[in-house]
Amino acid sequence: MTRQEIAERVIKTTARELHLNTSDIKESDNFAMELGADSLKSIELVAAFEEDFDLSVNEEEALQVQSVGGAIDFFDSIINKK
Amino acid sequence: MKNYELQDVEKPNLVEDIFPYSLPPLIRFEGKIHETIDGKIVEFDPNEVKTRDIHLTDTTFRDGQQARPPYKKEQMVKLFEMLSRLGGPNGVIRQSEFFLYTKNDRDTIDECRNLNLKFPEITGWIRANKGDFRLVKEMGLKETGMLTSSSDYHIFHKQNQTRKQAMDQYVEVVEAALEAGIRPRCHLEDVTRADLPGFVFPFVQRLERLTENQPDDMKVKIRLCDTMGFGLSYPNAAEPRSIPKLIWRLRNECGITADRLEWHGHNDFHKVHINGASAWIYGLNALNGTLFGLGERCGNPPLEGAIIEYVAMKESLCGIDLTVITELAEYYDKVINSRIAPNYPFVGKDFNTTRAGIHAGGLRKFEQIYNIFDTTALLNRPPRVSITDKSGTDGIALWVNEFLQLKGDDRLSVMKVAKIQRWVMDQYEIDGRMSSITDEELEEQVKIQLPEQYAIFKQKN
Repeated sequence: MTRQEIAERVIKTTARELHLNTSDIKESDNFAMELGADSLKSIELVAAFEEDFDLSVNEEEALQVQSVGGAIDFFDSIINKK
Repeated sequence: MKNYELQDVEKPNLVEDIFPYSLPPLIRFEGKIHETIDGKIVEFDPNEVKTRDIHLTDTTFRDGQQARPPYKKEQMVKLFEMLSRLGGPNGVIRQSEFFLYTKNDRDTIDECRNLNLKFPEITGWIRANKGDFRLVKEMGLKETGMLTSSSDYHIFHKQNQTRKQAMDQYVEVVEAALEAGIRPRCHLEDVTRADLPGFVFPFVQRLERLTENQPDDMKVKIRLCDTMGFGLSYPNAAEPRSIPKLIWRLRNECGITADRLEWHGHNDFHKVHINGASAWIYGLNALNGTLFGLGERCGNPPLEGAIIEYVAMKESLCGIDLTVITELAEYYDKVINSRIAPNYPFVGKDFNTTRAGIHAGGLRKFEQIYNIFDTTALLNRPPRVSITDKSGTDGIALWVNEFLQLKGDDRLSVMKVAKIQRWVMDQYEIDGRMSSITDEELEEQVKIQLPEQYAIFKQKN
């Protein structure tokens, strides 16, 4: 899966979980500050990414990710084993 | 001023020499304790408790029973058996005292004796009069406590006696006990409010002269009864409230040895446990207590608390089986129908239960952060989390992993339990719930949201 494909899926999942339009989401957006994800929503978002990508991630590492771009890089590194 | 530099270590210092986790936190002392008595400094060595034969004596069936409806005979026999197991083969719970007044009291003693347990030794409790003493003889006990009230509140206003009349009456019963080969244990009622040099010390010295030629196991014992909980363990507190001074004078001025001195406290000022433990440190051997501190008014030293203090002081279990504390609590709850406060240390339903999400997070990552010692191994009580809107996803993860009995890498992450946490939050935010989530409700959520894991768990259990 390319980084572009991963980015599209992360943004689509984020929009669905946070009830936003995909066009409103930028890679630089911080999940909590710009997109309004509280702590439970952040966990639900990671759970949704796990389901969409069909994988399990390390809890501590995943919850340290702050931004959309960071999430794209995080899943890119796992899926493409960078 | 001493300058302290930050030591930025690579490995954490968990101070495990004091907090071994496999035992309650250890109690260690550095140096001597100093007390001013008659203008002179006297010294106490607190480290003596490490080697002195300190122990517990039980009054669950005497003072404990004065504060509640009577126990049934079979309940007392069961509790006696459990006390024996709790104290272990070394007799850390050395004696247990019983009333002798009713047929039920005497039948209970017979049944407890029939258990043939080495410890606790059964002793009696009587008022200091010859009529009561006959009961002790009839029961064939080796030792009895007798009420020898020591303050003028009791002597003048309860007994309507002079000090001489009171003392003569007490001594008469002590002499009768000695003649019958029964060891007397004089309970100095209200001693922390008594005229010590004017009555207590002359009385104790007279008792000491009475038994000075007796063999060691017949010498008089003295129980210091802090009847109203007035005793103070603070250094240099004034007499008669000072526990250190009282013990020091009885040992050094009246000649009573540590093995013949006992502390009996009351909790009217929230000092009952620390006063009892301090009495051990200041030089007496026996601490008298009741299960769960049940006793007159605010209660007595809690026996289970004292035994954990004992382990902490001795730095060893010494044959004690602390899991019996949990058995005893369950017995009180289910059979005796006596409720223990949820936040009561070591036994209450919530004593090692956390509700705060931030604490649950700590507990989940490293149990020792929020658990006082290995309560699973020592008390058969794993730490728990109670689920509310404040317990967080960490709390849910902890509850679910404990419920499903998952260990190591099998334990579920917060992401896997997020749907359950959302259900919990909806209970409060949408439905306006005010109570905690019950275990049954959580199990139902596990069944719905984690069907695979639930099925595996049910297969195993």
